[in-house]
Amino acid sequence: MSATATRPSTLDTERNRRSGRRKPNSVLLWIAEHTVLVVLAVLFVAPIVFVLLTSFMSANQTLTASLWPNPWDFGNYVRAFTQVPLAQWFGNSAVYAVLATAFMLISSVPAAYVLAKIRIRFANTIFLAIIVAMLLPPQVTIVPLYVMWSQLGLTGTLWPLILPNLLGDAFSIFLLRQFFLTIPSEYADAARIDGNGELGVLVRVIVPMAKPGIAAASIFLFFNAWNDYFGPLVYTSENPDNWPVAYGLAMFHGSHGTDWGTTMAVTMLVTIPVVIIFFFAQRTFVEGITLTGVKG
Amino acid sequence: MTAASLREGRDNTQTRPSRPIRSRAKLKRTLVVWAMITPALLGLAIFFVYPLLANLYYSFTSFNLLSPPEWIGLRNYQYLFTQDPRVVTAALNTLWLVVILVPVRIIMAMAVAGLLVRAKRASGLWRTLFYMPALVPPVASVVAFVFLFNPGTGPVNQILHAVGIPGPLWFSDPALAKPSLVLMGVWVMGDIMIIFLASLLDVPRDQYEAAALDGANGPQRVRYVTLPHMGPVLLFAIITGVIAALQYFTEAAVASSVASGKTGVSVQLSQVLGYPSDSLLTYTEWLYVRGFSNFQLGYAAALAVLLFVITAAFLFVLLRRFKAFTPEGRS
Amino acid sequence: MNYRSRKLIALTAVAATAALVLAGCSGSSSGSQKPDEKAPSHLSGTVSLWHYFSDREAKAMQSVVDDFEKANPDVTVKVHSGQSDDKMSKVIASGGDLDVAISSGTDDLGAFCGSGSFRDLGPYMKRDNVEASQFLKIPYGYSSFEGKQCSLPMLSDTYGLYYNTDLLKAAGYTEAPKTLSELQSMALKLTTYNADGSIKTLGFNPLMGFYENQAAQWSFITGATWMKDGKSTIADDPAWNQLMTWQKGLVDKIGYDKLKKFTAGLGDEWSGDQAFQTGQVAMMLDGEWRVAFIEDGKPDLPYGTAPFPTGDKQTDLYGGGYSSGDIVGIAKTSKQPELAWALTKYLTTDTDALVKMANEIKNIPTTTAALNSPKLKLTPQFKTFFDIAASQHVFTLPTTVIGSANQTTMDKYWDSYQQGKGGNLESGLKGVDKDINNAISLSKGP
Repeated sequence: MSATATRPSTLDTERNRRSGRRKPNSVLLWIAEHTVLVVLAVLFVAPIVFVLLTSFMSANQTLTASLWPNPWDFGNYVRAFTQVPLAQWFGNSAVYAVLATAFMLISSVPAAYVLAKIRIRFANTIFLAIIVAMLLPPQVTIVPLYVMWSQLGLTGTLWPLILPNLLGDAFSIFLLRQFFLTIPSEYADAARIDGNGELGVLVRVIVPMAKPGIAAASIFLFFNAWNDYFGPLVYTSENPDNWPVAYGLAMFHGSHGTDWGTTMAVTMLVTIPVVIIFFFAQRTFVEGITLTGVKG
Repeated sequence: MTAASLREGRDNTQTRPSRPIRSRAKLKRTLVVWAMITPALLGLAIFFVYPLLANLYYSFTSFNLLSPPEWIGLRNYQYLFTQDPRVVTAALNTLWLVVILVPVRIIMAMAVAGLLVRAKRASGLWRTLFYMPALVPPVASVVAFVFLFNPGTGPVNQILHAVGIPGPLWFSDPALAKPSLVLMGVWVMGDIMIIFLASLLDVPRDQYEAAALDGANGPQRVRYVTLPHMGPVLLFAIITGVIAALQYFTEAAVASSVASGKTGVSVQLSQVLGYPSDSLLTYTEWLYVRGFSNFQLGYAAALAVLLFVITAAFLFVLLRRFKAFTPEGRS
Repeated sequence: MNYRSRKLIALTAVAATAALVLAGCSGSSSGSQKPDEKAPSHLSGTVSLWHYFSDREAKAMQSVVDDFEKANPDVTVKVHSGQSDDKMSKVIASGGDLDVAISSGTDDLGAFCGSGSFRDLGPYMKRDNVEASQFLKIPYGYSSFEGKQCSLPMLSDTYGLYYNTDLLKAAGYTEAPKTLSELQSMALKLTTYNADGSIKTLGFNPLMGFYENQAAQWSFITGATWMKDGKSTIADDPAWNQLMTWQKGLVDKIGYDKLKKFTAGLGDEWSGDQAFQTGQVAMMLDGEWRVAFIEDGKPDLPYGTAPFPTGDKQTDLYGGGYSSGDIVGIAKTSKQPELAWALTKYLTTDTDALVKMANEIKNIPTTTAALNSPKLKLTPQFKTFFDIAASQHVFTLPTTVIGSANQTTMDKYWDSYQQGKGGNLESGLKGVDKDINNAISLSKGP
């Protein structure tokens, strides 16, 4: 058996190398693969680069053929904050995303733990309901929910989008449950033997071990809240004070139709927090979702 | 906990609960457990079961939001199936997205993941590069793409013009509007690519070697080793992809309003949805227009019921076949 | 198994009961809909005003509101700008804080009025001696629905022809076109092309969907009508056929694809790059507000205005135009109806307020007093629209319960017709009538 093959696809070349032959194909293949990758990478990065470049162009120049800013206009980023209440939008998004995530964790981690680790009577039904709820298009429930929230006087605000997380979020419960399933039960058993109740087991044993999964679920929810357009459209469109950043960006283009330079600046600004968070949380995030996605 | 009781559990990571209440400690445990899951149950009841039933009720009424609902029986459904002039277009558009957008994204994600693995570039900078676009908020991606593909002044057409190709109208051309959205969907395929990547890297090497020894060549190894192993991830991608396509709203709505140039805070969204020429009118957009712009919320509820039925049917078929996510059948 | 299904049934029953209870009580409660015996002698309190203006126009609105507050020092007006009809209806339906609503048009008046969301202003008018004769006939008419005066007009819009005098002169024209044939020949002559065959300057853009080119605004040209006795009768009116055939003819002469490509590259309608202001389009149909936009964005633009050309067979209509306008209503859920009425009365009948708004927003005021006020700043270009508003031949759109669905249906069909995908015009229009009638009957009940 070969000792080193670290990547399955290199099996051929490994064998060939061992037998002393080097197929000329493999070099060509390497060149071909890398060329394609580079071309693809360029294509994937290009839009971001264009957006970035445009954000430094003056409004007039954005409508012309030039692809390079000349002169460099940094004013767009200033205008992004002065022409529209961008800071307020950021504030709204932050409140929405942070509160929603915090509420989700409080309600969904225990629920996922129960579904994963404890045999209760309707575990399957509940889990099935969770899956269906998770995959249900929001438009199916929007009419009755809107009526309900208007009875409660909360329309025009982001609360209809934040509060439900206090009662669990289906996708998060799903994700967390899958993750908890991968934690061997010996740890929980040991903690029980030590005299911990279920809550203690959850807090002292499971949660510390489940950090990647919890981080993944948190990041998913945070991004969903940050990027949400339909929810704010329905609940806050009449109240500009409460617009979050994603909805605001769509509305911004509305009143400043051809100021593409500033529009692109706003686009960049809207994206940056997300990128920063991902950058720091990369490893845990990827670990979290792959462990749930891969194991089914 | 004995080994026997562990094995008895359906899955070796679950614990049997205690038998019907024997002692105070057991009672306390049961209460704690139910307390942990009750918020979620309440959530299901209020935000899932109740709206579904209420929506069903509304679908039999005429409801304009400004006065109480009036029962009209099956009239909404009759209208839906025989008289609604744009519902067929909306349904077909959504179906188009399901059939084209989802597979294209998955295939592209597979291809890139596979390429990254083959070239041994599966981590770090390269992976981040292909994943980054998926982080951009969808509204921002759409605004950016419509700008980039602006037929007159956008960079894409500038470049095409420079090499002598006449630039098409992209988001303003009814025949190209949806394909343009697919292009954007491919750009953000990083979210599924990253799962595919992890799965690909997770295939046990000895399975490849065993297959090779049995005489399987490259493509055969992919077919008999790689793909089966990636089953759960592929299923996950298909399910979430189809569900997302069925409720496609944001990208189409923003693309239409930006591309049509009819944007203003007081412009009714309903005027621009579907631009150009209804090619971007999705089923959920049509639901929104009928409900919130035409004051026909009872009818919107009927549209929602139909959407739910189709979604549920799809889920039922798929989950039944694969049973990959329920505790009973784990592949 | 038994236990499980029983539990499930119980859960469902609870949810269902909740559903029925909550569903039963939708729509919001309202106080008395009748005015007090006498108008209050002193006004005080807070009243909320929702309107659709934004940016420059919102500032104008604000200054008028400030005047009202100065005249009534104990009154505060909370202003919500940039609100469209669907946003306002959501607020009214959920009993939110909305006293006075200014809607940009009559599209949704049918729904607002029919459901009682807008109060009947008749009793208020009677008590305070506000008479129908104070208002221009057409705007007063379109602010009522099925006999109920549930709103009053404030500023109206009329549409006419804008033409670039320099471009016309260069092509040898000194006068604006008066008939469709003249419009067509001038449009073709004024259109110039680039070396690659694409359009450089367009004489007139006939594409439906471009800026203000919509079925409603064009209906005046041949005097086309929409409804009779509550039913859609578009197919029965030969004026539509005449109009649409002419339009498609011009589109085909220039070339649909060329027009589409040219249009896609034009600036946004409300931006400084609007195509007429940049000189890319020589003639266009637009509302009287464009005068203000030009003054603000491109004051040195050489242009003139005139009534829009009529069909060759309808020259007697010349001098008139299509008119629509904003309407002011009081929400049924208003907690300050007397204050709301005072504000409404001020906005719709106070001559100084109307003149100020007319001068700054450049819309047409809707009372005869304001129309004849010497304080109006009338440039020659702006005066054209006043003349149109005062003409005999002013057309407006019928109000329906289905919002703007009739317009959208017609516009969608026209859009496919102009591309050549509309099939036979007769049967196409019959289909439009059928769809509109179906939609109306869906809303009105079986």
